[in-house]
Amino acid sequence: MKKSLLALSALFSAAALTLAGCAEAPDAAAPSTQQSTAASSAPSGSATSAAETSAAAEFKACMVSDSGGFDDKSFNQTSHDGLEKAAQDLGIQVAEVESKDAKDFATNIQSMIAEKCNIIITVGFLLSDATVAAAKANPDVKFAIVDDNPASAKGLTNLKPLVFNTAESSFMAGYVAASQSKSGKVGTFGGMKIPTVTIFMDGYAQGVAYYNQQKGKNVQVLGWDAKKQDGQFVPEPKPFENIAGGKSTATNLVSQGADVLFPVAGPAGLGALQVADTSNGAVKAVWVDTDGCISAEKSCKSILTSVQKAMDVAVFDAIKAAQDGSFSSDPYVGTLENGGTTIAPFHEFDGAVSAETKSELEKIKADIIAGTIKIESASQPK
Amino acid sequence: MSTTTTAPIGSAADPAPQGLSLRGITKRFGTLTANDHIDLDIVPGRIHCLLGENGAGKSTLMNILYGLLDADEGTISIDGVEQHFRNPRQSMAAGIGMVHQHFMLVDVFTVAENIILGREQATGGLLNMRQARQKVLELSNRYRLRVQPDSRIEHLPVGVQQRVEILKALANDAKYLIFDEPTAVLTPQEIDELMTVMRSLRDEGRAIVFITHKLREVLAIADDITVIRRGKVVGQADASASEGDLAEMMVGRSVNLQVDKSPAEAGEPTLVVENLTVADASGQVVVDDVSLDVRAGEILCVAGVQGNGQTELAEVLLGLRPVLKGRVELQGRDLTKLGTRETIAAGVGFVPEDRQHDGYVSTFTVAENLVLNQVGGFTRRGNLRWDQIKANARAKVDEFDIRTQGIDLPLSSLSGGNAQKVVLARELSRPLKLLVASQPTRGVDVGAIEFLHKRIIEERDRGTAVLIVSTELDEIEALADRIAVMNRGHVVGIVPAGTPRDVLGLMMAGIPYDEAVVAAEEGAGDE
Amino acid sequence: MSESIGSAGRRIRLPWSDVVVTLFAFILAFLLGAVLMVVSDPEIAPKWSYFFSRPSDALGASWDKVSQAYSALVGGALGGIGPITSTLARSAPLICAGLGIGLAFRAGLFNIGAQGQAVVGAMISALVGFSIKGLPLAVHLPLAVLAGVAAGAAWGGIAGALKARAGAHEVITTIMLNYIALGMLGWALTTTLFQRPGRADPISPIVEWSATFPRIEGTQLHMGFVLALLAAFGVWWLMERTKLGFQIRAVGSNPSASATAGMSVSTITATTMAISGGLAGLAGVQVALGAISGATPTPLTAGLVGSIGFDAITVALLGRSRPLGTVLAGLLFGAMNTGGLKMQSAAQTPPDLIMVLQALIVLFVGAPMLVRTLVPFLKARRAGKAPTTQAVAPVASQGGLAS
Repeated sequence: MKKSLLALSALFSAAALTLAGCAEAPDAAAPSTQQSTAASSAPSGSATSAAETSAAAEFKACMVSDSGGFDDKSFNQTSHDGLEKAAQDLGIQVAEVESKDAKDFATNIQSMIAEKCNIIITVGFLLSDATVAAAKANPDVKFAIVDDNPASAKGLTNLKPLVFNTAESSFMAGYVAASQSKSGKVGTFGGMKIPTVTIFMDGYAQGVAYYNQQKGKNVQVLGWDAKKQDGQFVPEPKPFENIAGGKSTATNLVSQGADVLFPVAGPAGLGALQVADTSNGAVKAVWVDTDGCISAEKSCKSILTSVQKAMDVAVFDAIKAAQDGSFSSDPYVGTLENGGTTIAPFHEFDGAVSAETKSELEKIKADIIAGTIKIESASQPK
Repeated sequence: MSTTTTAPIGSAADPAPQGLSLRGITKRFGTLTANDHIDLDIVPGRIHCLLGENGAGKSTLMNILYGLLDADEGTISIDGVEQHFRNPRQSMAAGIGMVHQHFMLVDVFTVAENIILGREQATGGLLNMRQARQKVLELSNRYRLRVQPDSRIEHLPVGVQQRVEILKALANDAKYLIFDEPTAVLTPQEIDELMTVMRSLRDEGRAIVFITHKLREVLAIADDITVIRRGKVVGQADASASEGDLAEMMVGRSVNLQVDKSPAEAGEPTLVVENLTVADASGQVVVDDVSLDVRAGEILCVAGVQGNGQTELAEVLLGLRPVLKGRVELQGRDLTKLGTRETIAAGVGFVPEDRQHDGYVSTFTVAENLVLNQVGGFTRRGNLRWDQIKANARAKVDEFDIRTQGIDLPLSSLSGGNAQKVVLARELSRPLKLLVASQPTRGVDVGAIEFLHKRIIEERDRGTAVLIVSTELDEIEALADRIAVMNRGHVVGIVPAGTPRDVLGLMMAGIPYDEAVVAAEEGAGDE
Repeated sequence: MSESIGSAGRRIRLPWSDVVVTLFAFILAFLLGAVLMVVSDPEIAPKWSYFFSRPSDALGASWDKVSQAYSALVGGALGGIGPITSTLARSAPLICAGLGIGLAFRAGLFNIGAQGQAVVGAMISALVGFSIKGLPLAVHLPLAVLAGVAAGAAWGGIAGALKARAGAHEVITTIMLNYIALGMLGWALTTTLFQRPGRADPISPIVEWSATFPRIEGTQLHMGFVLALLAAFGVWWLMERTKLGFQIRAVGSNPSASATAGMSVSTITATTMAISGGLAGLAGVQVALGAISGATPTPLTAGLVGSIGFDAITVALLGRSRPLGTVLAGLLFGAMNTGGLKMQSAAQTPPDLIMVLQALIVLFVGAPMLVRTLVPFLKARRAGKAPTTQAVAPVASQGGLAS
């Protein structure tokens, strides 16, 4: 609904432009700067040679979102950035479809096969059944799935899992969150109890525990019990899109005393940002998947840091590999070591985080890479 | 609308007419010509009766006059000035007011609110209700139309609701008042009151158009009479005409107003009602300790003013209402606890008082309505046998002279009389022990009344016990072998046919037979 | 005055004016959609700002955009065997649920609970589909289908019984039952009965092949569509040819006359709601057991049914509650959904704009008077018939006031 309102306001603003239709025409010779979006298949002034261009132009990379949509300011969007980058840098054709709900997954993948895509990237763990089935039925098409390494895909040579050990970066986020908490309580909640969500929560909780151990403090984690593997989740249906549900879950955690929130819930996490934005600085948030100060710019004043997953890089690499023939079904695992997952800069909180904490974080990162800090999470990719 | 003539009506030979005049009004609906070059003059200070059977085109004509319909041809002029009404607002502004057959009132509004409806006067967005209330009181005193301005319409009896309709037209200072079938929903007393009001309005110099098909009323009140048949004016008359002449003009053939009826050959009691007590939905006792019987081959009429328990009595006989106390027996079989389906199966036929509400499904076809309560007899393994249903319909349409353009048309396309024929045809198409008919000819035209009465008497002569509930003394006179008079849920007395009208009238007011006879004789002596 | 209206032949005459109005409804919706498409496109809209100095830019770009999008819509829905089968497949659940809602409408009941009934139907048929193993298709599939239909019928029957016995309004009860069904599904998916072993998230095992609708290889069409057509025929037969249908229609048009005719209004109400629920349940069965070629059936999750039960209300309204109308309306929706997918993938039209376009079509088809007002040619046609429509109006309002 909100989106159609946007369309309407676009109508009015464009109508205003049209009324003022007496503007000067741009110089026809000047290259249009707006030509080079994903929608256009022609490469714009890149250095590729003509022969390469035609070969590239025949290659088609496609993407199917989960029900969050490509504008979710989270993992669908980041993955989509990788697709757009591929369109620009590699000069290939792209196509994309958004899914409304679970029953769309299979048909949407099917529609991409009908579009004669060379590689189809499905975004999200929830699409794994449909992706595996489609990969089995279409051995000539290459697939990559973001965020899942399905056991049922064993032996499939045309499906590449793109997974991320975000427990590592969440561990760092937990440590810095604990250091910033004044109330001694930090909170987290998930969109759904699926491994790609709970892995963040596991890492976060262990980061807090590590802080307590190092500093002799007792910062509590609300919303996730790592032992029981259970905690707070946004209510069904469509929990990832349920911003109001995210807000009420966040409000609940704040009322229990949490002052640093870690929402692992895609767009629903925006509800937590709203809570933080209106708290006059009392509540901070740690964003997930992307650097929140870029994807949710307006809330930057509340965002302590973000746990990033470099899905755009992984997607781009998978498309590039498929195009140049180096595609393999070996899973890609993003880690702190290979830069597949990181924590974002502190932006407005750069001054608030002490130099001491910053150097401790560097040490933690090195320890995790070296294996001296062991993170335990059943959800970690193997 | 003014396609034929734009010349002023008054010519040298014809003195400029006062009042409302219609010339050459023609209205077609597809192939049907509802009004065919109708001329009509409505003069202030006179009551003009527009007489015609249902479907003759009276209502169409009045809807044209009221701006609800557009005429295809013809002109309307007031005091010689041609008028064009595109909507009721314009015709109201020209001084035309309408009292509709089905009241155009908002049920949940008060009397005062209804009267200002459409002409709300507001100061600063607030309705001026005080002024409206005063207006109601002033008008109701002036015309002796007693109403409480603050009563809600839904709580008022039908007769009072009609007063509100009249007041609404008067509040607009209508010079020409159209009454569309105003008596159809009224009791004899209410009709008398209405006539008094109409006369006083006439004496004040207003013009009254009175649309009806009831001859007695016409002769009682009319100054001028115009008879319409099949969209055409077929005759003019004055109040000296006889009922028979008018009926013949209306129907187009001579009509037997009093159906031939041999004396009843009554047999054993078929229906026995003992100490029956029934409460309505709100727990009010509406039928109070009623005992009566109806014998095979006789017609018992239950007379009474509307709302004295007759309707409920009829409904309880069909198992539509729970019995509080007492028994109902049909040929010795106890019906008291049976549901409607079982009662119908036991051989009880029922013609409901409000046929549109309870008697048929108006969106269903004629054929479907003719099997509405016996569709089980037209099925095989749960599947409808359309061939049989249609054959049945064709037979009934012939037998009962149901005027329809097709058995596959919705019942809503039929006139009131023909719709009632469908209901009666359906009830009489199976073997009955008892026929219960409430107001069997309400809102039905003269030709159809004759037919319906004849069929009811035939059914009696077949040995069926017949119970008729009616508020119309004409009907009771025509049908009854015995008359049970009801008042406030009690049976005041059961008297033989031929009991004088004034005695019946007094009994309807609750006075026992003996006293009523004496009072009636005294009343006659006084005159 | 009702007697004076020449309604003869109104039923018999072919509704040409309706056909023309529907056609114009599409044209209007597409025109408005085109405008939206042009103005919401960040590349084209600026070109209009210098329209007067070089109109070809704006016009050419707009035409390219719009024609590309609409040819994708039409091609995606109807262009070839793949798109057509996909359209049919997508329409099947909407037809089933629409039939159920339309049936209830005709009995004077507003079944807002098709969503819940479909959820329950999907849930139970999936349960039968994945928990029983080793049965042959000929046994397993019918069993799963019947279980789902029965579950939907029971769910609808609850609302019907509440109305018949306790007088509870079906709109309220069915809405509440929607919530209950959804909550129940969410909870069930965390129990061992429904949850896929080894998974922490609410998702069921994949339905066995023996309980999956047979499908045409290489397409998205499965036997569910045939079931939908059979259901439509069945509803037509029920309503027009059976005693029960006769009674349902009678109760729907005039309950008090039906009671006077000896029908049990409460029993018929409850029965109708159960049948309506069964049809909605069949819609749920379609999504739970329907697998497109080259895919497994989508496992049961909280969002599996989507918004079918609500979309079907529109389908039933568009189809005027008649079986044939509902099938056509369902096909329209199926075509819009399938074509919309192609608009996204081939013409890069934002999915929200496709939703807007769908809504516009429904709006115009559902508001014939609006179309007549907007299209002067149709208005002129209507003027000739004006008296008839005016004559009907007062009768209707009189009826309302008098009762």
